[in-house]
Amino acid sequence: MRYAVETFSLTKIFSDWWGRHKVCAVDNLNLKVKANEVLGLLGPNGSGKTTTLKMLLGLLHPTKGRAVVLGGDASSPKINARIGFLPEESYLYRYLNARETLDFYGRLFALPAKVRKMRIEALLDMVGLKAVANRPVGTFSKGMARRIGLAQALINDPDLLILDEPTTGLDPIGTRQIKDLILKLAERGKTILLCSHLLADVEDICNRISILYGGRIQAEGQVKELLQQTNKRQITTGIISDAAVEKIKQIVQQEDTECVISSPMDRLETFFIKTVTAAEEQAQPTSGAVSTTRLGDFLVSQTPVEGILDKLVSARVSPRAVPETPLTEQPEQEQVKKSILDQLTGRSITQSKNKQQTEQDKSQAGDSSDA
Amino acid sequence: MKIAAAFVILLLILLPVMGFSVTGDGTLKGRLQTFVSYGLSLTSILLCLLTILVSVYSLTSDIEQKQIYTVITKPIRRWQLLFGKLLGVVVLDVALLTLFSLVIYGITLYIPKYFSADESERDQAENEFYTARASLSPAEIDVTKEVKETYDKLAQSGQLPEGMSRTQIFAELTNVKKLEKRAIGVGREMVWEFNNVKPRDPNASLFIRFKYDVAVSPPDSQVYSQWFAGDYRQIKYGTKPKTPIYRTAVRKDPVRTFREIEFLADAVADDGYLAIAFFNVPSNDTVVIFPLEDGLEVLYKADTFTGNFLRAVLLILFRLIFLACLGILAATFLSFPVAILFCLVIFFTATFSGFVLESLDFLGGNVAGVYYYTIRPMIQLLPQFDKFNPTKYLIPGRLLSWSLLVKGAAVMVAVKALLLMLLSLLIFSFKEIAKITV
Repeated sequence: MRYAVETFSLTKIFSDWWGRHKVCAVDNLNLKVKANEVLGLLGPNGSGKTTTLKMLLGLLHPTKGRAVVLGGDASSPKINARIGFLPEESYLYRYLNARETLDFYGRLFALPAKVRKMRIEALLDMVGLKAVANRPVGTFSKGMARRIGLAQALINDPDLLILDEPTTGLDPIGTRQIKDLILKLAERGKTILLCSHLLADVEDICNRISILYGGRIQAEGQVKELLQQTNKRQITTGIISDAAVEKIKQIVQQEDTECVISSPMDRLETFFIKTVTAAEEQAQPTSGAVSTTRLGDFLVSQTPVEGILDKLVSARVSPRAVPETPLTEQPEQEQVKKSILDQLTGRSITQSKNKQQTEQDKSQAGDSSDA
Repeated sequence: MKIAAAFVILLLILLPVMGFSVTGDGTLKGRLQTFVSYGLSLTSILLCLLTILVSVYSLTSDIEQKQIYTVITKPIRRWQLLFGKLLGVVVLDVALLTLFSLVIYGITLYIPKYFSADESERDQAENEFYTARASLSPAEIDVTKEVKETYDKLAQSGQLPEGMSRTQIFAELTNVKKLEKRAIGVGREMVWEFNNVKPRDPNASLFIRFKYDVAVSPPDSQVYSQWFAGDYRQIKYGTKPKTPIYRTAVRKDPVRTFREIEFLADAVADDGYLAIAFFNVPSNDTVVIFPLEDGLEVLYKADTFTGNFLRAVLLILFRLIFLACLGILAATFLSFPVAILFCLVIFFTATFSGFVLESLDFLGGNVAGVYYYTIRPMIQLLPQFDKFNPTKYLIPGRLLSWSLLVKGAAVMVAVKALLLMLLSLLIFSFKEIAKITV
């Protein structure tokens, strides 16, 4: 199968009660998502992104055209079992707690009890909601609901992940985590279709993007190809002397072009995460935490079938977990922050090193283009 | 669901309060009848409303609050979702119905211990309330031929009453002819024969329950009579008597009032044959008529009160299952408030379906034709809740037979509720879940 998702002149026209055509949300869309790529569907509000996703999932019927998902029709249970879907908001059952919510979705996939339990714990750990797993999701903040929504989309270890604005409502750390997660999933051969209007997010994680406007694709292609300025070059060095800079300038002038020299800027995101990490590390002695790596190890050794989820969990070497303090005593805000921080440390130590490298490259590219 | 909790608390308070505050007509039997009648009706109505609310809400809220997006995109079929909702509502109904019927049952058994009543009142309650008596009515005599003849005769002589439709005249004539068959002149006697009389115990009692109507009202409004009960064939064919034939002394009973005559069940022949004879004593000086429908019945204990109560509760459950299906159907294509209104209209029409049908049967002219082919079949599609009303059987201690229960289950659940579910499946399968009407 070449394409994970393929649409043929997919069209959606919304009519009013009398059948009069009112809005043409999607217009002859021919979208192709290759297997194992991360495709970002971009566009301003009302450009038909969400409508397209809903048609792919069978939540809306196309007025014209056809959508093929994983080689079949997305409304058939066989195909559905291989899809993970996160809608534009996390629509959850308010009275269930986080663990029950995931258990419910796991049951819908008819996962065996053992597998289900293991995955739920791994996912709760991964999205940083372990400490609040027994609280009704109705009491969750938007970001927390988002996290549980994402966990829900991953419960079946899907081949195709359809995410509708996955990072809305999340704090910068949460956003970073989700982006890292998406990259990790892509590494493991998953296909990811996400739509967003947050350009920075899409730029970071997508192989390919399609820009929608008025229900039509306006531009499409590899992120690198679309964004690379082929008429410019950028060199990043360590700290060098002014004399060396002068020499470089001379060499550049010999090439008959100009050069701008400045210190590269950190991206605000990188800076923010650095700051919070530092604060977290200082607070470490007082937190008296328990390591969560044990659970990951347990998963790996007990169930080799678990695949991606184990790897995901074990890949994250988190040194600490949330302290086991009674939930009622602590103000909600603080708790949330703590769990997020705990999540963060694991990620920032192990994963963000090479990540930061690429980010710096990118930010520098951005700087030079600005200049 | 807070609303469910409110219903439960309301009922749990109301039922015991009712149990100890109702008095009925002052007798123990009256007290029991009033309590069971109100208690069961109240439970039934509240549970019906709750079922409608819950079944409609569970689906419409999923659609309106969009939780269904993440559920329907999982590997389940849409029918599974609908039947899941139905199952949830039915489980809730079964739980609540079990709870409340146990409360009612408990209080019903406790009332005689709590209130002081003399022996005769206790006997009366035992015989006429804590029992499940089967009733046998004399077979209806087919009078259509005679009616037709009379009608033709009237038509030929031009004596048909004016301003009445043919149907109305026929109905009137049929009534007259049927009453004629149940009228007994002075000094005459009439024998009714019953088959399939199956009392549980030959030493138990059988009851003749009757109500007199008279052509000329006697001065003291009393009718003198003599009754016989037993195997009439023994007299007819002069065989050796095997079973006793009971006869009453000449007795007097007030007109237009239900009376009962008790005799032993061993009067019934081995093959379940029983004959009842009424002798219009000459001192009466008037024709005695047994009104149609409930003018004459033979009652015998066929089951226990407990069995009857259980079947009555099951009958309520069938009603609830139907309403749950109805709620789900409404939720597949209507929003919450509209769906509730829709269900309530159907519920109340079904509750009074007998009355509605009867009252519309007397429409005249073209309207009748239109009605006959449009509204009438639609009303008949509804379940007849009043026809399968359990209190109708429990109050007079009548047997609610398994066959009636099965009939109720077949009509309300197996046919009508299933039809609703199929229809809702059809609508739901083609429904655009995320549809936005602009």
